Amino acid sequence: MSGEFKPKIIAFACNWCAYSAADLAGVSRFQYPPNLRIIRVMCSGRINPNFILKGFQNGADGVLVAG
Amino acid sequence: MQLTKQQIDYCMECGVCTGSCPISQERPGFSPRQMIKRTLVEPDGNILQSDDVWACLSCSRCSDRCPVGIDFPEFIRSYRQKAKVLANLPKESHHGIFQTITTIQSGTLHQNRTAWTAGAGTIKEKGEYFYFVGCAPFHNPVFKYLDLNVIDIPKNILKILNALGIEPVISNDERCCGHDSYWGGNEELFAKLARKNVETIVASGAKTVIFGCPEGYATFKEHYPAIVGDLPFEIRHISEFLVEKLPASEITLKKSVNGTVTFHDPCRLGRRMGMYEQPRQLINMVPDTVFKEMDNNRQNAVCCGTTAWMECSSCSKTMQTKRLMEAKQIGAQTIITACPKCQIHLTCAKSNTDIDVEVKDLYAYLAEQL
Repeated sequence: MSGEFKPKIIAFACNWCAYSAADLAGVSRFQYPPNLRIIRVMCSGRINPNFILKGFQNGADGVLVAG
Repeated sequence: MQLTKQQIDYCMECGVCTGSCPISQERPGFSPRQMIKRTLVEPDGNILQSDDVWACLSCSRCSDRCPVGIDFPEFIRSYRQKAKVLANLPKESHHGIFQTITTIQSGTLHQNRTAWTAGAGTIKEKGEYFYFVGCAPFHNPVFKYLDLNVIDIPKNILKILNALGIEPVISNDERCCGHDSYWGGNEELFAKLARKNVETIVASGAKTVIFGCPEGYATFKEHYPAIVGDLPFEIRHISEFLVEKLPASEITLKKSVNGTVTFHDPCRLGRRMGMYEQPRQLINMVPDTVFKEMDNNRQNAVCCGTTAWMECSSCSKTMQTKRLMEAKQIGAQTIITACPKCQIHLTCAKSNTDIDVEVKDLYAYLAEQL
């Protein structure tokens, strides 16, 4: 294994903007690294601080809220 | 806790518990007396399915008055872990953020929980006194919306300790005391936190641990020995510590500018630890203090409405508003608390009403007059 640090990042993406953008990237066959795990939410307003902390608790190195 | 045979035999069904319970007054059908009786007939019966198991505040008004010494809060707590297994879960406040913070603290992590001391006072890495700060550094960002700086409580305590010539140890490795996990039915998590805290304190070489928060103090005193055995250090609550040290020091306090003040007894400090007089003595050390008692004081004090960050309901709000009204009725301009959670809960209730009473922390009251 290489010693390169690959952070596990959880992304909470809003259905109407950020998630659509990620979807469009997929449709356009752009590649993004597999260490970004996307969770779709219907609105970024659905996120509360505990989602972010839970992400860290379960081993994420970073949490991205996009919306 | 299983009730002992003797306690069961002695329970006279007098109903003092239900009559004393602030929840029973607001929540239809909640009756400690009936819960004990039902459980005796059917030990694993509907108590485990009912949300009543989470409604108890463990304020100990019932157990304090029970003529045969049944510790109802401990009794109901002992069912909480089993209730969780059956997916009967409490409604966690603030989206469960505090429960997550507690869980995270039981693992390996590097915390930065002493940053607030910069500019507030001087601390040491090793020394005779360890100041156990508690959750205030985590509460602070969460309660900004109430215009409340919870971190001011440890800042003021540190200021007073420094004025007494004490430079306490404050550690980045301190963990949550586990009070909320203990009362929330998570004994495994509680044991982990207890072991880590004792380890940190022993490593600091401290002989005396000073607590600012009544919950931390009560938890160390009542529940840590069962996990770690006798504590290898002395534990003191800041109020008893100051009552002893302040008069002997050269500190002179300035005159009070807060008008009439009253004191709200925190359940953990009062009924569970029996410290009723020390905070009052501290308040009266400030010259020109006009102190008045509320109708429900000392053993009869009413809880601030929520425990362990769960089950905040209209019932809690009613209790808090009633408490503020009580202070208003005796003409108090300031209600002094000695527990960060009481201060948070009463401030929260106040923000939804037009009751004009200032909620102030005891150590802010003292530190302002230094």
